[in-house]
Amino acid sequence: MKLESRRGQQEMVGFVLIVVLVMVGLMVFLIISVRNSPEPVNSLAIENMLDSIMKHTTECAIVFEPQFDNFEDLFKSCYEGDDCSNLDMSACDYLNESLRDVVGDLMDSEATVGAYQVDFFVRDGEGQQGLLRIVEGNCTGSSLAAQRSIVSGSESLVVRIKTCNKI
Amino acid sequence: MKGQMQIQQMAFMILAVFLFFILVGLFFLGVQFKDVKRSVVQLQTEQAISSLRVIADMPELNYESRESLSLDEDKLRIMSGNFGNYYSEFWPVASVKVYKLYPKFDELVECPALDCNYFKVYDNKQESVKTYSTYVSICKKIKETGYVYDKCEIGKLVVGVISK
Repeated sequence: MKLESRRGQQEMVGFVLIVVLVMVGLMVFLIISVRNSPEPVNSLAIENMLDSIMKHTTECAIVFEPQFDNFEDLFKSCYEGDDCSNLDMSACDYLNESLRDVVGDLMDSEATVGAYQVDFFVRDGEGQQGLLRIVEGNCTGSSLAAQRSIVSGSESLVVRIKTCNKI
Repeated sequence: MKGQMQIQQMAFMILAVFLFFILVGLFFLGVQFKDVKRSVVQLQTEQAISSLRVIADMPELNYESRESLSLDEDKLRIMSGNFGNYYSEFWPVASVKVYKLYPKFDELVECPALDCNYFKVYDNKQESVKTYSTYVSICKKIKETGYVYDKCEIGKLVVGVISK
């Protein structure tokens, strides 16, 4: 009788061990899949959004009014350290202010976007040098991205937008 | 009798463990295939957006044929008036609408009107319509102090197709 109950106990312990092992495996798998947020996927929708932002005419005129920069020109003007002659502020300050405004309004109109990030940087042989970054919200879900290169003299400027979906 | 009992016990145990592993496998596969489903939706959306480019680049809407996805505001004004009715046989879709998104507005004002922000280019009043949209530039020529320049704003082209 004692021998049988011990055998039963052993079987139960064995089963519990298997369950515990599988649960630990599952937990490790879940933690890895939640922590490693997937690489942003290139998106045509975000690319079109970035293109339309680049073509948007701003209120900054570097040389004279009404020769206003669009955002693409404004990124170049910012990199070259120019000023907006009609606004008494530097192109970079105006870019920072107006880009936040535009991107913020566009993202507000997107019901699925929970967070976003805009990066403006120079890419050279040594790597990347950040010039401007706008971050709003906390990215945890899947993300979409697009980037656009602007040539300014011999330098390659890059503007990248990344959006994260609401979970 | 005792031996049979033990064999039964073992058989049930093996079955239980087997079912348990199948459930674990199904869970794992479910998580993996979620990404595949997401990719399918993403691809379908991209395909629809590519089709919108064709409509945006038609000479009836395109701004100076220079750049893709740039709409001419003056053409939009004309097309959203009565003139657009002559094109009812032309559009291969159920509806074509354009909204201005930036500068932000509080209420929708249909064009042609003062400070309007919404162009209804075409609508055949279909009831079951699925809409696809993409960002576009809405541009026009402005003359200020003798100097002519292009003014572009950000908008959205919304195209409706009959849902099956």
